[in-house]
Amino acid sequence: MAMGSLKRPGPGFLPFILACILIVLSLALIASQWKKGSGKTPFWPGRTWLRPLLGTVAFALYAFLIDLIGFLPTTFIFLVLWMWLIESIAWRQIAAVSIGVTVVLYLIFGYFLEVPLPGGVFS
Amino acid sequence: MGEIFDIFQGLANGFQIAFSLTNITFALIGAILGTMVGILPGLGPSATISLLLPLSFKIGSPVTSIIMMAGIFYGAMYGGSTTSILVNIPGEAASVVTCIDGYQMALKGRAGPALGMAAIGSFVAGTIGVLGLTFVAPPLAEFALKFGPPEYFSLTLLGLVMATLLGGDSIIKGLIMIILGLLLGSIGLDPISGAIRFTWGFHMLQEGIDFVTLAMGMFGIGEIFYNLEKVLKAELVTRKISHLWPSLKDWMECRWAIVRGSLIGFLIGILPGGGAVISSLVSYAVEKRVSKNPDEFGKGAIQGVAGPESANNAAASASFIPLLTLGIPGNAAIAMIFAALLIQGVTPGPFLITEKPDVFWGVVASMYIGNIMLLILNLPMVGLWVQLLRVPYSILAPVIVLFCCVGVFSVRNSVFDIWVMGVFGVIGYIFRKVGLEPGPLILAFVLGPILERSIRQALLMSAGSPAIFFTRPISGTLMIGLMLFIAFQVFRNVRKQRQREKA
Repeated sequence: MAMGSLKRPGPGFLPFILACILIVLSLALIASQWKKGSGKTPFWPGRTWLRPLLGTVAFALYAFLIDLIGFLPTTFIFLVLWMWLIESIAWRQIAAVSIGVTVVLYLIFGYFLEVPLPGGVFS
Repeated sequence: MGEIFDIFQGLANGFQIAFSLTNITFALIGAILGTMVGILPGLGPSATISLLLPLSFKIGSPVTSIIMMAGIFYGAMYGGSTTSILVNIPGEAASVVTCIDGYQMALKGRAGPALGMAAIGSFVAGTIGVLGLTFVAPPLAEFALKFGPPEYFSLTLLGLVMATLLGGDSIIKGLIMIILGLLLGSIGLDPISGAIRFTWGFHMLQEGIDFVTLAMGMFGIGEIFYNLEKVLKAELVTRKISHLWPSLKDWMECRWAIVRGSLIGFLIGILPGGGAVISSLVSYAVEKRVSKNPDEFGKGAIQGVAGPESANNAAASASFIPLLTLGIPGNAAIAMIFAALLIQGVTPGPFLITEKPDVFWGVVASMYIGNIMLLILNLPMVGLWVQLLRVPYSILAPVIVLFCCVGVFSVRNSVFDIWVMGVFGVIGYIFRKVGLEPGPLILAFVLGPILERSIRQALLMSAGSPAIFFTRPISGTLMIGLMLFIAFQVFRNVRKQRQREKA
């Protein structure tokens, strides 16, 4: 990637300058944090890491499954999993919300907006 | 005189466009969605507009989609106060200070007047803001026609720096976000030479990172993951809301607060990097200073609700000015609207008003209508919206995630984009965790191409001499303004640190 010069700035011109500034800023940030001294509070106090992690896993599962088994079942499974694992909601409510939301999403995107939602093995 | 006449003619045309059935429907949808996300904590206007970006591909006309998105943006300013007053949690960031006195009023059984005054103040200020937009934007755009690459570079730089310095608490962190945003924006084809940068062999990256994917990841998914850490629970202080119409005494106490808030909001909203959040903070400070009994603040002073709520609405309308006249978005939510315009093939800038008058005047006229809709939605119907606070976040969160997934998929029908969005979501979560605000990053990502093109064109113009940014009068003035601004901020920070060391 050519840097160019001030006279003829090339494609690498701005990224190079930006990278230099970024290095300086990062050093400044490290220095300022270091001066402050390390705080004793942990990054994830208690078990606060658990729910975001479960959310990430559920998300990845969704992206993975939607290609395999299609939009409708994946969406339903995702909703049930999320509300069951991450939140503790009554089963009846989980079922109602999962079915309702899946249908509404399908109607909005699949039907009205005509998005070719993945059909998976069922298509 | 001719110019004033042009403005009225444009506005009349705009009303014709805005009153078409489609546009008025979408304005209403925008107002309703805006009020909704304003009320719901944990979901802000930026996230919502990013959620709807894929939709703007499907809405054929640029006017219609921008009318809706604008409605979401200023509608959220109305809704935000409701949650602040009734639950003591800000419904969205610009209503943080409303919690202080609004909640105290609710505790004293004066939730009604607080909600009423917030809605009326919002309406007055919103309308003043749109009036300002109507009369300030056309001459400003004409002035901006004189801008060349050096002026654009200086202005963009000023906007970016002001956005960081005004927004967050740490200047270094803000600047880091800006640099990261600019670097992310440089992935893909170089706008001038066509060389390929930072794709590491992924051909999917040649077109650059898609704004929709980035915005939905950072704002939609990132925010959800972050909110998962804590349990958001909305507990209403009161179910009974009566006397929405404020008493004569309240009126007398608030009229100047509303006027001052409107002016403060408008002026801060125009500034690149300024916006609703900052203006509400400034307004609160001003109200406390001019009040005859400042001790009342924090204990339920109605001016502490009226002022900031007016300011954030005026600022929301005013922040359309730099977008529609200069093509430079001043904050994250406006950056999303900027992206939506680009998706529709409309490049905002000084030529917009003359070349696409339908878009400009249609959107402006719709904002007058939208404010009236919002007044009705938020004053007599506020009780209905309060029910929304009963929908638990535990149900809302997975639904928002799904909306993001399907939305991002629909742009290019690609599951790959869902993965990319997820990665940005995790990054956005970690950023929030370590106190890095993603707002400046999004702004820088959008402004990156403008910044790069203008600096390189300017240097070509001047044969490599950076003096060009200082010797041209407009650019020079902007640069001096930038330096004064930085000097002032550094001075203030040093003084603050000294005081802290003494203490």
